[in-house]
Amino acid sequence: MSFSTGITGIQNMAPELPVQASEDLLSTPMFNLIHSFGVDLHHAESYIGKTTRMSRFERLSTDGGQLDGTGIDPASEVPVRSDVDATMEIYAKSIITNEQVILYENSKTLTKFTALLGQWLREKEDLLMRDLFSSSVSYINATGGLNGDQPSNISLNDVNNIENILLGNDARSMLTNLEATLKFATGGVRDAFIALANTNLCADLQKVQGVLLKSAYPTQEGIRPEEYCSISRFRFFVSSKAAKTPGISMRGNTVYTIPMYGLEAAAKIEQNNYTAVIGYRPPWVVSSVAQNSQLYAKFAIARAITNQNWISGLNVTTFQPS
Amino acid sequence: MAFTILTGDTFTSTGAGVKIPLPSSADYMEVFNITNLAASNPNEVTISRWFGPKFGLGASAPDGGIKTVKTTSDLTSTYSSGGFTYVRTAPVVEAQSANAITGITAASPAVVSQTNTYSDGDILQFYSTTGMLQIAGMNFQISSTSGSGYTLIGLRAAGFAAPATAGYTRRISKYAAVDPQFLYITEITQATQAVVRTSVDPTQYYVVGMKVHFSIPYSMGMYQMSGLTGKIVAMSAANYTMTVDIDTTAFTAFAFPASTSSPTAQLFATLSPAGASTQFNPVTNVQTGYDFQYQPFRTGQFTPYMYLSGGSQSPAGAASDQINWIAYKLEN
Repeated sequence: MSFSTGITGIQNMAPELPVQASEDLLSTPMFNLIHSFGVDLHHAESYIGKTTRMSRFERLSTDGGQLDGTGIDPASEVPVRSDVDATMEIYAKSIITNEQVILYENSKTLTKFTALLGQWLREKEDLLMRDLFSSSVSYINATGGLNGDQPSNISLNDVNNIENILLGNDARSMLTNLEATLKFATGGVRDAFIALANTNLCADLQKVQGVLLKSAYPTQEGIRPEEYCSISRFRFFVSSKAAKTPGISMRGNTVYTIPMYGLEAAAKIEQNNYTAVIGYRPPWVVSSVAQNSQLYAKFAIARAITNQNWISGLNVTTFQPS
Repeated sequence: MAFTILTGDTFTSTGAGVKIPLPSSADYMEVFNITNLAASNPNEVTISRWFGPKFGLGASAPDGGIKTVKTTSDLTSTYSSGGFTYVRTAPVVEAQSANAITGITAASPAVVSQTNTYSDGDILQFYSTTGMLQIAGMNFQISSTSGSGYTLIGLRAAGFAAPATAGYTRRISKYAAVDPQFLYITEITQATQAVVRTSVDPTQYYVVGMKVHFSIPYSMGMYQMSGLTGKIVAMSAANYTMTVDIDTTAFTAFAFPASTSSPTAQLFATLSPAGASTQFNPVTNVQTGYDFQYQPFRTGQFTPYMYLSGGSQSPAGAASDQINWIAYKLEN
């Protein structure tokens, strides 16, 4: 029912434009990118093959070596070189856009889509590095937790065991210490190795004996947003996309893999001239009637575990089955 | 919506499931059993179709799809199982239901009792293995497969206290997201050159000349091996073994912990790739360390791929059937 009141209201004069765009776009969801920043970055030259070789001379034996005065030379030693190879692979994604989208959309669609492709590029790279860690590293099942599963939920003993392994193999810590400050409820953080965990483990991480949540660090300066806590000699970074395998624990629960490593444990190799290529194909190229255009992103990457002595890790389940 | 043919090919069925790597995501797929199409009244699948996620409510379920069975007339229905499985991400656990086992013998090699449709060479993830919990969570390659069981060459369980009486398996991808992958160790001999047995055939992933790094928890006996890196000097596909240049004669014997010690015993013993030692023998003219098929870190299992179940009532057909397949993609 409508009444004629002589007043001009929205019932008889609705807005010319029914909707307006807000002043800014909402955020595009992006998961934490944690799998690349702790690895070494190498570069592959163009025109000399797709496999990059990283070589390391192993240290010499320290056995013996004393000269006894007889003039007899000590036996010489043949140095050993270990070669780690990685094959370059190329990944790509494109967005084909019809001209009507560009014509009618209220702001720069091509700019937005370019940003989306840029985000894809970084996310894909992160997942590829995650797959390297989950496939090619030896992990040890946690057993110190109390959930009765194999592996168990994470505990301080399990974390310390991995520190023993890394230190026993002469691994070097990745992150420098954070000196204590005169702030209540904070404490210093030792120089540390890196640990990468799934966000589903956050509840369990909080309960580990001796955990220092990020908020209790003496400073927040330079601390990455992905960081969650420090336990023993490890600083934990979390992502919803960190490795997990459903249904393979002793009781059939999800097993989460936590890579834990120090300096020069893994490498990412970028191809010169192909690190991150973003391009545009105009409508007259993509479409016979010039109606569709195309944006694309490409990148080349090779990845490798460069020193198994300096990386280890835990398989864990969650205290509450997941 | 316009379709583009993405790719297509033909193969002769072995009766087993087939993985078809797809160069891009697919939205529709057709599989033709040419042998059954030519037969007069086979009562078997002739045409299978799969609809991808873009079809929304009309998309095919995992392990599903649509089948046409040729009898006196053509009958079209959906697969309740034994159809198409589209896998887009790695690491890959193929989207198949858990399958219950009824026993694993404490023998060398161990023999599993299970009603199954697996094929020789498949790799299975084992869990909840009652009575043999020390292997729960490991994967094994199977051989001598029948519909009622198979053999685990990689598990010599004669020293185990008891057989397994229950448990589950799920088939997983032969290749990891990245290869060379870590492998589970089931045995290490005490010898001047240790012979290491793995749960799967190691020759699928490693070659002579490559180096492997060992991670052996104390509960597995030969803990002195942990942290050592050895060079592979010999391999056996028949026995799932590799020989490494590490002298283990003075080490403690390798042994699985008792099932009853799970879940507190640390598991598992594993080896992982540690590069190669590049060498040339001028006498034999043999070079090692330049095997670019196995040695470099690289993508293992290509994704996406389509898994076609095998058998006369499935897309991949029975043994000797000629199969044609075409994958399509929506243009936009």
